[in-house]
Amino acid sequence: MWTKIKTWLDVRIGLDDIIQTKIIDYRIPKNINIFYTLGFLAVIAYAVQALTGIILLIYYIPHPDHAFRSVQDIMTKVPYGWLFRQMHVVGSNLMITVAVLHMITVFLMGNYKRPRELTWLGGGLSLLLTITFGFSGYLLPWTQLSYWATTVVTSMPTAFPLIGEPIAQVLRGGDHVTEITLSRFFALHVAILPPLFLAFMGIHLFLINRIGISATPFGIADEEKRPLTEYKRKIHADGYPYYPVFFQKQMYMMMAYLAVMFFIITFLPNLFFPEEANIPADPFKTPAQIRPAWYLLAPYQLLKLIPNKFFGITIQAVLVALFLVWPFVDTYREKNVLKRPVLRGVFIFLLVMWVVLLFWGRNS
Amino acid sequence: MKRRRFLKIVLAFLASITLLSFVYSLLKFLVALPARTAETKKLIIRKNEIPSGDAKDIIFRNTPAVIINRPDKGFIALSRVCTHLGCLVEYNPVKQRLICPCHAGNFDLEGNVLAGPPPKPLTVIPLRIDGENIVIG
Repeated sequence: MWTKIKTWLDVRIGLDDIIQTKIIDYRIPKNINIFYTLGFLAVIAYAVQALTGIILLIYYIPHPDHAFRSVQDIMTKVPYGWLFRQMHVVGSNLMITVAVLHMITVFLMGNYKRPRELTWLGGGLSLLLTITFGFSGYLLPWTQLSYWATTVVTSMPTAFPLIGEPIAQVLRGGDHVTEITLSRFFALHVAILPPLFLAFMGIHLFLINRIGISATPFGIADEEKRPLTEYKRKIHADGYPYYPVFFQKQMYMMMAYLAVMFFIITFLPNLFFPEEANIPADPFKTPAQIRPAWYLLAPYQLLKLIPNKFFGITIQAVLVALFLVWPFVDTYREKNVLKRPVLRGVFIFLLVMWVVLLFWGRNS
Repeated sequence: MKRRRFLKIVLAFLASITLLSFVYSLLKFLVALPARTAETKKLIIRKNEIPSGDAKDIIFRNTPAVIINRPDKGFIALSRVCTHLGCLVEYNPVKQRLICPCHAGNFDLEGNVLAGPPPKPLTVIPLRIDGENIVIG
């Protein structure tokens, strides 16, 4: 039966040729490591989010009078509704974790360097879109947590003179977070961001395929040695075939990802549900313990510490911009971060600062 | 002018008109807001509802506000919207301050910033005393 289907497809679309050229003949470098699978894992994470998000749409009602109730119904009345919502919530946090880890490992292995500047930029923008996904989805359950976290984040643009207030107004659809904001964020979350994200992801994957996988994690690759005067695809003729060597690594990581997700759902079901996430939004009462999601805790704490709002938000915007254009700033040829003490020191300092601010923001 | 160049200019012109019209409409679409519920023009509260040293939360013109009966200085109405990032400040009768739960902004009972990141004082809402009533707005 399977052979018949395979033959049927082969004579029509050249299935054997696709398998041979795109999977078996596709070579990956011999010194590839497990961290190279994180990009694939981000794609899997996105697929899980898309699937569970579509399932949740069947019962979710995007209106302030019904949003909280409909989410509670999904959790308590709809058979297995709790499972799909937990998968979506836990998955959103894991997806951001995977994307951040992917960027960190690419950074440490110096794989953002030429000719892969645009690949880095595409990945960086995809990470920002992923965080926007998380932030826009945060409001949808219409809880105290979602309402006030959105109030804080949509007020951030007001730090900038002249343009800040109009931007905040367009984001919220008025002076405050209201039903208009909920409609806008719902549209953003389910209709605007997904195609945008897929477009960036498509560009990112196209560039990886077009330029070729980076050869060596450390040292100066031949791409860095030669003058960059013409396009040349990196082919690893002496490398391993993608299937089964790398494919197996990817499958291991995918199963590890799903195992972590289901472990959290089973044994730590309240990990991403603080008390305020179970209280309906009250626009006239800011809760005493309001905190954003963990991935926004560091910027949140920094805003607390820096007394000047404009300076506090500008410094973060500059850091994000620097992160995106880093390959154009760092044109030094050496990829090995171990041979670059200044870069290594700055990276460790920023990482430690981020962790300190995260825990400080969580406990303050 | 050559035919090819002319066609390029016409194409660019038509594309510009299309793009401009679309972007203009989109911006107007995003900025225009549906009509809101009628705003409260004036709000009247009885003085004896707020004992000395106490406060009462109100909604005035769709904005959360607070009326405080200061022991020595009488009544004042302040917007509760923190000037930092929009959370609502809470009146603390023990500390005699208004405190923002989000980023720990502290205001005195005149609305001035005492501590924390808020860039400017709370908005003071005009009020007057009319006999036994407080008239806000």
